[in-house]
Amino acid sequence: MTGKMPDFSNVQSGSSSTATKIYEVVSGDSLSKIAKREYGNANEWTRIFEANKDIIKDPNKIFPGQKLKIPPK
Amino acid sequence: MNRKHLYVILTAAAVALAACGKKEEAPKPAAVPAPPPAAAPAPAPAPVPAGVTAGAVSLGSAIGADKKVTTATDSFAKGDTFYVSVDTTGTGTAELKAKWTYQKDGQVAPVKEDTQTITPTGPATSEFHVDKPDGWPAGDYQVEVFLGDKLIATKKFTVK
Repeated sequence: MTGKMPDFSNVQSGSSSTATKIYEVVSGDSLSKIAKREYGNANEWTRIFEANKDIIKDPNKIFPGQKLKIPPK
Repeated sequence: MNRKHLYVILTAAAVALAACGKKEEAPKPAAVPAPPPAAAPAPAPAPVPAGVTAGAVSLGSAIGADKKVTTATDSFAKGDTFYVSVDTTGTGTAELKAKWTYQKDGQVAPVKEDTQTITPTGPATSEFHVDKPDGWPAGDYQVEVFLGDKLIATKKFTVK
């Protein structure tokens, strides 16, 4: 007889690194959303924009599949 | 000076000038030295052994700004956040994965699985963390850490 397993559906997670991370944009992303998730502060989107000026011309336009460099926090 | 003398002098002068002219002839532009026979392309620098190598893996309930675990433990309280940190060396691009599971009565339940892709240029430390707003069920857990597809560490821990 085995017991019922607990529900872990509400587990929250995160990750960070002292190295630059690579993040692949998914549908619905924006730089501020990514900054909020990576840095805990949406206003830090400029850091991501600055690090990716070679591939982002307009910070309001990022596309699924783009691989962005996320500087360390 | 009669005409004969004048002729002799002029002829001598002409010869002298011709000789001088020959000496002063502008040197032909040195032929652009033929490029040394295409030196066999220098052997490409030995590629730095590609890749990122994993070092220490630590488990704990807190990390510092350097992403290293500051409070190492394998026994957690219900309200704790679990952190696992991974030291790496080397350069390149690498995918790290943390797979958290809960184990009870021989059953295994997935808790969370996360990946991050890093591009270190030297030694680096990366961390994964999980928390549960309503508290962790007591029991046995483990986290497996992968570098690419390779399992590099398994850490077992409990929540009391």
